[in-house]
Amino acid sequence: MNTSVNDGSAGHAEIVQATDLRRRYGEGEAAVDALAGVSVGFPEGRFAAIMGPSGSGKSTLMHILAGLDRPTSGTVRIAGVELTTLGDRDLTQLRRERIGFIFQTFNLLPVLNAQENILLPLSIAGRKPDREWFDRLIDTVGIRDRLSHRPAELSGGQQQRVAVARALISRPSVVFADEPSGNLDSKASNDVLELLRHAVDDFSQTVVMVTHDANAASFADRLLLLADGRIVHDGDAVTAEQALDLMKSVG
Amino acid sequence: MLKLVLRGFVQRKLRVALTAIAIALGVALMAGTYILTDTIDQSFAGIFQTANRGHDVVITPTKTLGSNVRPETSPISEQTLARVRATPGVAEAAGSIFSPATFLRVNGKRLTSGGAPQFVSSELPKRFESFNAVRGRFPTSADELAIDEATAERANLKLGEQMLIAGSVPAKRYTIVGIIKFGGGQSFGGAGAALLIPAEAQRVVGEQGRFDQIDVAAKAGVTPSQLRGRVRAVLPPAVEVQTGAQQAATESAELESDLSFLRTFLLVFAYVALVVGAFIIFNTFSITVAQRTREFGLLRTLGGSRLQIMQSVVVEGLLLGVVGAVLGLLGGIALAPALDQLFKAFGADLPDSGTVLETRTIVVSLLVGTIVTVLAGLPPALRATRVPPLAAMREGVEIPPRTSITRGRYAVPVLLVLIVVRLVAAVAQGAGTATIAITAAIGVALLIVRLRQRARGRRYRLTRALARAIGSLVAWRGITGRLARENSIRQPGRTLITAAALTVGLALVTFVAVLAAGTKATIDQSVSRSFAGNLILENSQPGGEQGIPALVAVVLRHIPGVASVTPIDFTVGRLHGSSSNASITAIEPSTFERAYRVEWKQGSNATLLALGNTGTVLTKGYASSHHLKVGQAVSVLTPTGQHVSLMVLGIANDNARLLGDLTIGLPLARAAFGQREDDLDFATYAPGVRNSQVQPVVDRLLARYLPQVRSRTAAQFKQDQANQINTLLALIYVLLALSVIVSLFGIVNTLILSIYERTRELGMLRAIGTSRRQVRQMIRYESVITALIGAVFGLVIGVVGAILFTTIALSGSGYVQSIPVGTLIVLLVVAALAGLIAAQLPARRAARLDLLQALAGE
Repeated sequence: MNTSVNDGSAGHAEIVQATDLRRRYGEGEAAVDALAGVSVGFPEGRFAAIMGPSGSGKSTLMHILAGLDRPTSGTVRIAGVELTTLGDRDLTQLRRERIGFIFQTFNLLPVLNAQENILLPLSIAGRKPDREWFDRLIDTVGIRDRLSHRPAELSGGQQQRVAVARALISRPSVVFADEPSGNLDSKASNDVLELLRHAVDDFSQTVVMVTHDANAASFADRLLLLADGRIVHDGDAVTAEQALDLMKSVG
Repeated sequence: MLKLVLRGFVQRKLRVALTAIAIALGVALMAGTYILTDTIDQSFAGIFQTANRGHDVVITPTKTLGSNVRPETSPISEQTLARVRATPGVAEAAGSIFSPATFLRVNGKRLTSGGAPQFVSSELPKRFESFNAVRGRFPTSADELAIDEATAERANLKLGEQMLIAGSVPAKRYTIVGIIKFGGGQSFGGAGAALLIPAEAQRVVGEQGRFDQIDVAAKAGVTPSQLRGRVRAVLPPAVEVQTGAQQAATESAELESDLSFLRTFLLVFAYVALVVGAFIIFNTFSITVAQRTREFGLLRTLGGSRLQIMQSVVVEGLLLGVVGAVLGLLGGIALAPALDQLFKAFGADLPDSGTVLETRTIVVSLLVGTIVTVLAGLPPALRATRVPPLAAMREGVEIPPRTSITRGRYAVPVLLVLIVVRLVAAVAQGAGTATIAITAAIGVALLIVRLRQRARGRRYRLTRALARAIGSLVAWRGITGRLARENSIRQPGRTLITAAALTVGLALVTFVAVLAAGTKATIDQSVSRSFAGNLILENSQPGGEQGIPALVAVVLRHIPGVASVTPIDFTVGRLHGSSSNASITAIEPSTFERAYRVEWKQGSNATLLALGNTGTVLTKGYASSHHLKVGQAVSVLTPTGQHVSLMVLGIANDNARLLGDLTIGLPLARAAFGQREDDLDFATYAPGVRNSQVQPVVDRLLARYLPQVRSRTAAQFKQDQANQINTLLALIYVLLALSVIVSLFGIVNTLILSIYERTRELGMLRAIGTSRRQVRQMIRYESVITALIGAVFGLVIGVVGAILFTTIALSGSGYVQSIPVGTLIVLLVVAALAGLIAAQLPARRAARLDLLQALAGE
């Protein structure tokens, strides 16, 4: 089993770089190490999938990489900015400019229509949308005819495509996707994952995805496997079957 | 089940606290009211007991027309005293004076007593005297007095210094020879007392040869009631003879009935606050029941019965009610002194020693607080029973609607109609303001329930439209404003009820404000229309018992530039066959028309000249309500117990309300009604004379000799009236503010619960770059929108209600409608600010939300 840390493909700068991340929950005997020393880099324009069994620390890793949680020790840099020492204000600013999010439960605002939901990050940041980019995005995700609909009037797949557009609208340095296909049927699931693949290939978007779905992992360029707070596998793209086998091996 | 409820209670500390406070504030005002009035009651009872100590028998004027009507001229004379002294069994008898007067510094400035009256008291033989000297001695000559300690301290007056007293005669200078204290050391309220020798006291209050009271002591072996019987036998019915104990009891009872007005007045505001609190309880329970749908579903799946589900919610309401009521009762104990201070600030100083906590106060407060809470929580509890077991399995299961929804749909409008009918009837019958206000508050609450029913039928179109309109004001502030607007109409029913709590308070504030503005406008207009004179003379402490000496009119006539002076007296009488007193204005027929324009329905100014001692003019309203016509004779019982027969000579319409139900000639008032002083004098200048030529002269003269009197021009008079209304208005505002505060807790509660529901949404917003400031802003905007919805509804209901009320109740009385636009705008601004304040805590909580926890559960 390959346990060495991938130093990234040649020609790609590391847009996200984590060094020796540790995260401990609780104290004393009941303390749990969710991350027990993780160092990993994510190069620009690549699609990485992080897999692992429940409790492996994959969600914690993503939360820390995205600045939603702080490590007990270790550092995280996004586009050269050290996250772990930033205050709430700067973190907020960083999330606005550098990070896009895709959630398992879509998390669209029910009171806004699709277009407003897509533009929400820009509205919050008080920025004017780039019309051309917006047009290109909605054509890419294929929801032009649904722009004035509210989330309740959209199917799950459509909602998640809106969420993908929302994550991409501000051209972030990195998009973190947390089980993006977890709540979708297989058809919608493939649509969304293809969309992410497309974003990486055509827009050079960096995507980091946490998933337990081997099929989802097969869309990525790279597969990381976590178990007990450590990276136990880091390798190139695999098929769904291979991913499943890898998962079984770490059990 | 109880264990479950208790555990939930502890877990939701903040919500429990906020909800309990909603009910506690109303209960606190209620308990505070009882404690305050009981304390005042008991203090006065103590005063009366002390005052009547050593008095076996007490003789007072018979109050023919009720406890509040004391004839200006006492029927107790020196002859009465002589007859009492000659009665067998009398050891000692003494006549006494205890009448209101005005205390001043030697420079003519009034000594204030915080709005409480000042009395002149005559020195009594030792066994009857309830004052004792703490410093110096009692007066021995007509130029000396002893003053009560509190007044002396407040004015920093010392032994040997001088002061003035003005009663029914010009002010006179006295040397202070003693500082006195009321026996037993009880508080005498803020009231001041000056002790004079008997003859001087009689002179000051204009009762030479007369007494306010005769105190009698029995010889050994004669019981008070025996003596009472003997004295009664030798005295005319114009005087009342009671034992000392009876007298103290009578005085206490009279005071209690006077105080009951204060009690009812304050309780009205407590009930209003409770109604508002009930709204909040209802809303909070509705929201939590909705949020706990899954939990109830689970309980049902595990075999819980509907009854058990309901019980768990009802028990929660019961616990909350008890907590709120207990908090309220404790709050009431703290609030009572504050209320006392409030009244002091508004010029009513009442005696209060200690804190009287009657069992009744405790029982009523606890019961009312608990019952209101349980009742308000009942509809949500019933709703909880309809949660299907399926709700445990799935998210977003709707609670099925009530099958018998038609019941409420028809019951509420029917009740509403009944309330309106009752209200109109109450107004028409001239019922007490309390009845009207409580009925109105229930009416407003029902109206809101009805509006909500209708709104539900129309999917809250009005609330949504209003929220959109108000929201547009903040939406231009960017995405936070826009989101706040959308969030406020997300659950329009919830927003409406939250806002409705504020609506109740603001509707009443608006109602009162509109009524006050109209009343001021009415006074303005009617004084301008009716008053033809130039100067009004009145007691310099208006609203009190004291009039102005009859001498004032005489003196005024001699001032250059004054062409005519007409004195006006107010008294009461009771028509034969009537159970209530009629107000009577006595005028001087020959001079009245020069200062006042009467609008005649029947008759003319010549009618006034024909009044004599046998004629009367009625006001239109009284004539029609008592079915009296010109040419009819009426028999009137006077305050001195005489019966006079009067012929109705004319009917007048008097919007300025100077004329009472009956108008009679002044000589008759003096002869048969015991009137000795005047209440007002109207002076009219000679043609071409300017006010600046006369008023300064009048004022100089008054300051020097009659400082108890002051002069007012029509403009000043109007201003005085407006000020009086404003003072009352301010008091009502302060008391209604409590309801508004209660409704703010409702907004806080709803916001916190809504934020809890939207935790994940807020987490997402934060994750994609919303700053804490933006989150706070969003919550604040939402709160302001909710508050403004409530305010707009309140303003509309208040204005429409006031217009309807005045149109129905005051039709034909010359009421001038006036909408205080400025005040209404201020109210909107205040509501918006209140919304901001209410948002502080929820906004902070929302901003501090733990991002990870918010996003968890995926």
